[in-house]
Amino acid sequence: MKRYIGKLLFFTVTALLVLNGCKRSYELEPLERLSDDYVWDTKDSLGTNAEKFLVNIYSNLPNGFNRVSNDYLDAATDDAVSSAVTLVPVTNVQLGGGYDIFDNFDGTWAANYKAIRAANTFLNNIEKVPVKGTIPTGVPLRKAWRAEARFLRAFFYFELVKRYAGVPLVGNSVKDITSEDVLIPRNTFSDCVEYIVGECDKAADSLRTDPVDDGNFGRITKGAALALKARVLLYAASPLYNHNGDVGLPGGAAAQKGLSGYTDYSKDRWKRASDAAKALVTYGRFSLEAKFKDAFIKQNSPEVILSRNGGAGSSIEVTNGPIGLGNPTGNGRTSPTQEFVDAFLTINGKPISEDPISIANPTGYDVNNPYLNRDKRFDASIFYNGKQWLNTQVQTFEGGVSKPGTGVQQTKTGYYLRKFMGDYETAGNYGSTYHNFNYFRYAEVLLNFAEAENEYLDAPSAEVYNTIVQIRKRAEIIQNSTPATTYGYGLKDNMTKDEMRTVIRNERRIELAFEEHHFWDIRRWLTAKQVLTGTLHGKKILRANSGLVSYETRDVQQVSFGNANRYLFPIPNSEMIRNGNLVQNPGW
Amino acid sequence: MLFAQQRVTGTIRDSQGPIPGATVTEKNVPNNATGTNSDGKFTIVLRGKSNVLVIKSIGYRTQEIRVTGDVLSDTYLQSESKGLDEVVVQGFSNKTKITSTGSVSTISAEKIRNIPTSSVQNTLQGRLPGFTSQQRSGQPGKDASDFQIRGISSLNSNGNKPLIIVDDIEYTYEQLSQINVNEIESISLLKDAATTAIYGIKGANGVLVVQTRRGEVGKPTVNFRIEGGVQNPVKTPKFLNAYQTALLRNEALKNDGLQPDFTQADLDLFQNGSDPYGHPDVNWYDVVFKPASLQANTNIDISGGTPNVKYFISAGALTQNGSVRDFSGPQSEVNSNFFYHKYNFRTNLDLKATKTLDLRIDLTGRFGDINAPKANSGLLGEIYQYNRISPYAAPIINPNGSYSYNPKSIGADNLPTINSRLATQGYNRERSTDFNILVQGTQKLDFLTQGLSFNGKVAYASTTKLERGLQRFDDPPVYRYNPTTDTYAMRPGTPRYVLSPLSLIARPGSTYKSVTVQGILNYNRDFGNHNINGLAVFNQNTTSDLAILPANYRGYSFRVGYGYKRKYLIDFNSAYNGTDRFLKHYGYFPAVSAAWNISEENFIKDKAKFIDFIKLRASYGLVGSDVVDGNKYLYIQQYDQSSSYNFGVSPVKYSGFSEGTLGNPDVTWEKYKELNIGLESNFLKGKFALTVEYYRNIRDDQLINRNSVSAILGVGLPKDNLGSVLNQGVEGTFNYRPKIGNLLMDFGLVFTYNKNKVLFKDEPFPDYPYLLETGKPIGQPFGYTWIGYYKDQADIANSAKPLGTVPIQPGDLKYADLNNDGVINDKDKSAIGKPNFPPNLTLGLPINFTYKNFSVNILFQGQLGYSLILGSNAIEPFQTQLQDIHLQRWTPATAETAKFPRLSTLNNSVNSPSAFPSDFYLVDAKYIRLKTVELHYQLPSKWLPFGINKLNAYVSSYNLATWTNYSLYQQDPEVASGSQGDSYLNQRVINLGVQIGF
Repeated sequence: MKRYIGKLLFFTVTALLVLNGCKRSYELEPLERLSDDYVWDTKDSLGTNAEKFLVNIYSNLPNGFNRVSNDYLDAATDDAVSSAVTLVPVTNVQLGGGYDIFDNFDGTWAANYKAIRAANTFLNNIEKVPVKGTIPTGVPLRKAWRAEARFLRAFFYFELVKRYAGVPLVGNSVKDITSEDVLIPRNTFSDCVEYIVGECDKAADSLRTDPVDDGNFGRITKGAALALKARVLLYAASPLYNHNGDVGLPGGAAAQKGLSGYTDYSKDRWKRASDAAKALVTYGRFSLEAKFKDAFIKQNSPEVILSRNGGAGSSIEVTNGPIGLGNPTGNGRTSPTQEFVDAFLTINGKPISEDPISIANPTGYDVNNPYLNRDKRFDASIFYNGKQWLNTQVQTFEGGVSKPGTGVQQTKTGYYLRKFMGDYETAGNYGSTYHNFNYFRYAEVLLNFAEAENEYLDAPSAEVYNTIVQIRKRAEIIQNSTPATTYGYGLKDNMTKDEMRTVIRNERRIELAFEEHHFWDIRRWLTAKQVLTGTLHGKKILRANSGLVSYETRDVQQVSFGNANRYLFPIPNSEMIRNGNLVQNPGW
Repeated sequence: MLFAQQRVTGTIRDSQGPIPGATVTEKNVPNNATGTNSDGKFTIVLRGKSNVLVIKSIGYRTQEIRVTGDVLSDTYLQSESKGLDEVVVQGFSNKTKITSTGSVSTISAEKIRNIPTSSVQNTLQGRLPGFTSQQRSGQPGKDASDFQIRGISSLNSNGNKPLIIVDDIEYTYEQLSQINVNEIESISLLKDAATTAIYGIKGANGVLVVQTRRGEVGKPTVNFRIEGGVQNPVKTPKFLNAYQTALLRNEALKNDGLQPDFTQADLDLFQNGSDPYGHPDVNWYDVVFKPASLQANTNIDISGGTPNVKYFISAGALTQNGSVRDFSGPQSEVNSNFFYHKYNFRTNLDLKATKTLDLRIDLTGRFGDINAPKANSGLLGEIYQYNRISPYAAPIINPNGSYSYNPKSIGADNLPTINSRLATQGYNRERSTDFNILVQGTQKLDFLTQGLSFNGKVAYASTTKLERGLQRFDDPPVYRYNPTTDTYAMRPGTPRYVLSPLSLIARPGSTYKSVTVQGILNYNRDFGNHNINGLAVFNQNTTSDLAILPANYRGYSFRVGYGYKRKYLIDFNSAYNGTDRFLKHYGYFPAVSAAWNISEENFIKDKAKFIDFIKLRASYGLVGSDVVDGNKYLYIQQYDQSSSYNFGVSPVKYSGFSEGTLGNPDVTWEKYKELNIGLESNFLKGKFALTVEYYRNIRDDQLINRNSVSAILGVGLPKDNLGSVLNQGVEGTFNYRPKIGNLLMDFGLVFTYNKNKVLFKDEPFPDYPYLLETGKPIGQPFGYTWIGYYKDQADIANSAKPLGTVPIQPGDLKYADLNNDGVINDKDKSAIGKPNFPPNLTLGLPINFTYKNFSVNILFQGQLGYSLILGSNAIEPFQTQLQDIHLQRWTPATAETAKFPRLSTLNNSVNSPSAFPSDFYLVDAKYIRLKTVELHYQLPSKWLPFGINKLNAYVSSYNLATWTNYSLYQQDPEVASGSQGDSYLNQRVINLGVQIGF
């Protein structure tokens, strides 16, 4: 009996062995993974999966709000300092570091090439998918998608060009792993500009026209293509790239010629830039939003050309709002500088130094009450001591709720950044506000036009004046100047080209602040060395028991731009050693 | 002439005393057997005609004794060292010490059974040559060491884990750490190609083989063991008090050009302590942690059997308490302390089903609960961080009994004190259940041909984990007490006067499952002087866990061996096996090994009698590794779900697809070519023993990231078979066993020397050759070379310095400008120090004394030749709490004697170990530890009542004393480099135990 049981057991074990040995309990291919055939489905006339690939290309667009380790990029300029208690990347930049051949606080080399590859992959595969349908203009949907991908690719190239100047142009093919295929040399700056402009031109007419329908808000439109073209040409005409070698930039070896900019100066580049901006004005589909602050929080503002649809919430308020106010309480990440505050005009449209308050001029600048009588954009951009917020007054005096002085993150300058926030002046707490980051808005196009046109002409034309007037009018600046002038709004008559340049650059600074313009503007104008040398300031605000407030200027941050080679980013060292065909930017 | 039914008594001993538990069997009468008692005595009634007794005991050479009277004179068994027939574990089958041709080191679990640590691998350090480990944490239930066999040789971080085989079944690291040592018979390391090639694609990192205890023929013996111990940290951190910290804080702020935080009045109050609420001075370590905690361990096992049924049954329970004080009170009744509870059982049965068929059924289960406070499982980390808490941050408790918060905390605003959160926030508990079953049949196939047998087994192993917590998600209500006005201020932000309700959390953890099926044909036969043995194995294994792709493995392994007079031996081992991780599934892994037993030669036997045993052996072969990071199918490219993007005035989220990492259809396993030469010897009847091994291994085709391709490609690259590493070393043991009267001594030395070098790692050629990682060991740290402090402004102006950091001041660390470009940047980093793991040299000094019934076992253990650098929270002032080292900072007055740079409150400065890793912070570490000490007393059996035949009492300790060579850090030398050095402190344990045998 025992023997019998034993044998039975033995054979059971053997049988199990054999059975298990033959049975396949799991699939051999990883079926839960998405395959090529699935994404580029040759039978799907809706292109559902292919469109998801297009969405992925969009998702590579940068998110501008507090993008750089929780700071705004422009907190690396003279406009603001980070309130962080630790040494953050933007502060490193202000100290003369932040980017070198090893580390780059804004190192987007690989990220943009990844996005460019995605666009190429889309363009190379979308023809396999029999997408039916058209957009309202009658252009086939598939063609419109292609144009979107082309625009995005151009956008990503411009992200590279404004950092590194001429970069390798990959072309249309999707590169293979064999390293020979990617050992591409840099194209000249000129080639890159022409490539981006050409792509915008080719894409423009296949894209949706403006204003886009509600469901497609956020998509690339013809307006975006025109706007990118105008911006690229404006940058290209700027002194950083468009010079005769006489602007104090480090000279390059023969191999570097043409990579970091044009090899000669041409005034006509300004003309081309102004024409490109004008084309968007003539297009006639955009206009300025009635209220400056609404341009950032309204969903379908007529001013917005392309924005990243960030959805609704209170993230901006919580990240940048004054500390001690709101629930959750603001973290006051950004401290605008006194330099930036002083750049705001008076309500008369004049610089504060030229417009002191007096009995004759009751709307002038009052040193003892410095926040009165200012350009309305000031109120929409800056939290200052005494400004109404969340139904109370912002206290940035020493010991105030928003400036307690202890170890927590708080303003270093006496100011917080108000821009981009919802209307919570009289609200009890933060609610939900749309926060779209504008890549292009109409005000920029106008300023692009004014700048390029002024640079092209020998003296500013009426058209230049009128463009600035449009901006200032929207900023609710008083029209009637004392003494009276032709154009009003604080604009002097018969300004020289240089005077007008100062006006336009200042206008650009306050109008487009923290929208990732100033960081690049001070570079392309070659003014960064000047504005980032010395000390950035803030206010030490003291409140006496009587409630009387006094202001003292305080040093906030030593800054140094460093050598002139820093106007361009260096090609990452890791790329230099991997691709022997690359040539470094001069001075790095 | 003796007659049947003769009664024989005797004593079995070795040179150190009586051997309990030895089996005495009458030759040719297999079911007539008995065991020796605790005094080594036995009684047997002879029934057969051979008059020969066969005496067996684990660790001893089996001996046959002819019986000539009714009382046998003391029979001495030859211990392990001379035990040429001692079983040596080899893959899927065993050989004897004399016939083995591979490199194996073994330890009998008897030697480690009393060591008071809950993880088996913690006991092996310094005892087995080739075994290197570092214990990174002392948390109850999570204190298992990382270990390696013969160092590391793969650039893949996961590619260096040894294969763990318990009773022929693959175990995970975690399962190994949970095994109760009481269940273990022996632990062996298989180290060279001869022994690991048979595991083919899984053998490259060496194999750790555990054999569990099995029943022996004899009366049932019951062993009961109960132990209790005290744990306390090996080293506790010391921090400066509030006055000292405030003083240094002011100094640092002044250095940074900032206003001081404290007035002289504040400093005075800190110093005289007269304002404990307004100016508290709290040692938070002492608040949170208690000096000692308890642990207890109970085991019982029963073993015995008849020739037809043998059994080993054991059960155990372990409780390890955590080091946190009890904060539960009226506000909260939950136990948030760390603890580990483990229960386990094992039933190992051997059945003789027929004359030729043996069956084996093993059942094992382990149940563990690991508890940790929800407030912070890295409590010490919080105490280390100045930004979270400081000596003056808050009082422990307000005068009215409410809790306080730190108004200056960074990272979490107004952080309630640790004790308030420990008291109220509850716990998180990890419950794991392991269940294993193994069924095996061994059929002798002598009817086919003599010496052939077949063995088949099916094993199922599973681990199910569950997390359960009782937690509060909100912070407790906390108040700031103002002693001047005697008022309490609510914490700003979210006002809360009551505790939020406790929530019950339950979520699944892992559901690991592994099924193994094995069939083994075994052949072993002597033809006169010739021995031929062979082995053929079919092995299939499938593992899966939750959503991770199941891994399938199948292998065929073979061994053919030939021996002539046990003098000349040669073995061929090979495996043909595959995995579904690669497109080309199967690979072939051959190895050849040979041994020459010199001591079997007549010239030794005749002329050099002092030599007991000398064997020279060598092996060479190929082993593989199929470890793939992330369990992905590397050979195909797939698309991933990616980020979404919003469109629409009412935003609608559109999901995205993106191109995944490229596929590499050629991807294949790593190949390890291993050469091993070994010498084993015994002299003077086991008084001296020496084993030395040399190995030189090259691991090619390592699966690493391509690093030389430009990012312009724009897509993730697959791993490629590119890396190559040379790994070599020398290891061995030496034993000296003198005897003075009744005092027996055993001095040992276990050494493991290992070094590796990267031969290729697809690295673009850098600007300066010293930046090259190729040619250096795996994990080589790179950093700046520290050359002193900046003396003054002139020195700063004239010296190289980094750009874009906190401006340099006198007293900052100054680094060598290796490329002389006037700037300190990444191009000035060169190889500094050594990798953190493995250390070049691991030493163990086991010492044993036995005097009559007393014995003492001591193990000194040390590691040399490794580097240690800790992160900012461990050392950078005001990232970490201030420590004694910060008192020795640079100031203009102490410029000559300073041991630490100038203080600053700004992080990422040139003085930061994380932003500027340098050899100032990288210490060349070494340590020696009194790892274990065990005092053992066995009561003479005549004193024992109630049928107890054995009673041992012992005191054992673990990590009793440690000597290190550095003063910069206060951490234990085994903490992980690059960490903040704030993991749960390694514990010293002093343990008291009693073992009773029936």
